[in-house]
Amino acid sequence: METLTRISDRFDKWIVLIGRIAAWSGVLLIAVTIFDVVTRRFLVLGSTKLQELEWHFHVVLFVFCIGYAYLKDAHVRIDLVRERLSERTQWWIELLGCLLFLIPYCALVIYFSYDFTVRSFATQEISASATGLTHRWIIKSAIPIGFTLLALSGLVVVFRKLVELFGPPELREKVHEVEEAEVEHLDKAALKNFGDEQGGPR
Amino acid sequence: MEYFYFEDYLPLFMFAALGGLLFSGYPVAFVLGGVGLTFGFVGMYFEVFDFIQFFNLAPRIWGGIAENLVLTAIPMFIFMGTMLERSGVASDLLHCLQVLLRRVPGGLAMAVTLMGTIMAATTGIIGASVVMMTLLALPVMLNRDYNIPLATGTIAASGTLGILIPPSIMLVIMADLLGRSVGNLFVAAVFPGFILAGLYVLFILVLCGFRPRLAPPLPDDVGPGSNLELLVLVLRSFLPPLFLVFLVLGSILFGWATPTEAAGVGAAGAILLAFLNRKLSFKVMRDVVERSALTGGMLFGIFLGATCFSYVFRSLGGDDIVIGTVEAMGLGSWGLLFVLMGLVFFLGFFFDWIEITLIVLPVFSPIIELLDFGTHVDKFELVYWFAILLAVNLQTSFLTPPFGFALFYMKGVAPPQVRIQQIYKGIIPFVMLQLLGLGLVMTFPDIALWLPRVLLN
Repeated sequence: METLTRISDRFDKWIVLIGRIAAWSGVLLIAVTIFDVVTRRFLVLGSTKLQELEWHFHVVLFVFCIGYAYLKDAHVRIDLVRERLSERTQWWIELLGCLLFLIPYCALVIYFSYDFTVRSFATQEISASATGLTHRWIIKSAIPIGFTLLALSGLVVVFRKLVELFGPPELREKVHEVEEAEVEHLDKAALKNFGDEQGGPR
Repeated sequence: MEYFYFEDYLPLFMFAALGGLLFSGYPVAFVLGGVGLTFGFVGMYFEVFDFIQFFNLAPRIWGGIAENLVLTAIPMFIFMGTMLERSGVASDLLHCLQVLLRRVPGGLAMAVTLMGTIMAATTGIIGASVVMMTLLALPVMLNRDYNIPLATGTIAASGTLGILIPPSIMLVIMADLLGRSVGNLFVAAVFPGFILAGLYVLFILVLCGFRPRLAPPLPDDVGPGSNLELLVLVLRSFLPPLFLVFLVLGSILFGWATPTEAAGVGAAGAILLAFLNRKLSFKVMRDVVERSALTGGMLFGIFLGATCFSYVFRSLGGDDIVIGTVEAMGLGSWGLLFVLMGLVFFLGFFFDWIEITLIVLPVFSPIIELLDFGTHVDKFELVYWFAILLAVNLQTSFLTPPFGFALFYMKGVAPPQVRIQQIYKGIIPFVMLQLLGLGLVMTFPDIALWLPRVLLN
């Protein structure tokens, strides 16, 4: 049980770290867009390259953040029934959901998108437009990698639920606390921020 | 003699399974993916689906979601909204509007509506904008002894305007799914959005004109004493966000920039505003970056799951079943429109727009092709009109008791003396106004279609 906790905490740290770094590609995306808009007026740089770069950043941003968002519990859930279930039932649902839905789904996407990437590499695929970016396989590989991260975050949740369901009481407590600390519901995050800013204007 | 073939009805079971499993509370994104996968396997068992068909998911994800410059606007719009929330712009704006409107009956409620309309440009995630508006405006209104239902109704209705008034993330997604131009859809949403806001304002004005006790005015000593100070206040707090919104919208409306480029400009502008308000620090920047990434991850997670679901659904013959059922009902275009609207309205009780749009729209898009309203709406413009009706409808459905999404979010952050019954009571007149707005757009399609025709053609 303790090994499970250790492994899940380790994975968790890495996934969150990668997500946090990938999050900054949003800023790069904005920067490239602005650069494209501004320079197009004056110079004729290859706008195609810039625009392709834009969605490259976009892909990095979302694909590496899905697992991160799961660990932070930022994914939408339909809470209507769930709120009335016991905590134990909720854990079971989460465990089964990961084992039956999330992980097989990831495996499927990884399997085929890996194939997709390899084909792209084998044919040395480049942009369809003459002035576009080359080495399309690099960004295509982001999809299997991102889904691997998502599958791993599913594994983290599986381990944690196992500990919570079957582990010794003190370990359960610990895992539960780690989870609670990590939760970052988007609406509650907004709440927290406004707490910080009370006593601002007015 | 007709035989019952179980596999012919797989898409129906698939939909039912999705509906049931969503209520388990497991993340929507993964339920979608999981149900898609499971029914792919079930289809393989009945030999109506082949494992290799799953390969198509990769190019679909790639072409539909990744290599898609339209959707690239979404993370930047999310960033813009999150940054504006943190930049203090909203509270400054509210303060300024309060001062400007202090002598108008229901001035504070009106200030909230106007703020909602202006800030509507910034987010599209219902929870976040309603929470922000509630935290910002409700305590002030309660302090002034506002009638609680009036206060909560105003806030909930104005807070959800964000999904309708462009630049709205929902409209970006709808345009993408329907294969139409985002710019056109944005332009089409302008009048309907403003008409709704106008109806709110009118309602507040009339109500508070007749019953001033519902909305006590602010004392005169609130705000700056001299006109010069007032001018400074307006220039400092009111104009910058307004300018930003007009910059973003204007560049789309007048065709200077694509929605994606405008989103980039908006995001950069939001950073600039936060900087000018002295709210920008590395910590704020990091927070905004991470929170936008989480929101984006959530949204695109559902996008990916929905791709998997609707691909399998179609491969199993879901389209034929949907169209077959619809044709068997023999409703005609108007009947069909009402059925679709009713369905979406009903789903809105339980789900956020993200799920509804991403699940329902791909499934029902073949039906939209069947609709024909003769001279009422031109065939080419029909899709835009339909999308706007859908958008107004969705906004309404978040406000309807007992399961209105917006109302729950609001209850979650409102001060304890606000009871859910008061929130329910307060929203009723606004729902009526919404339905009025919906009826107007339905009866007079030109409300939505005139502006794009003039501006873009």
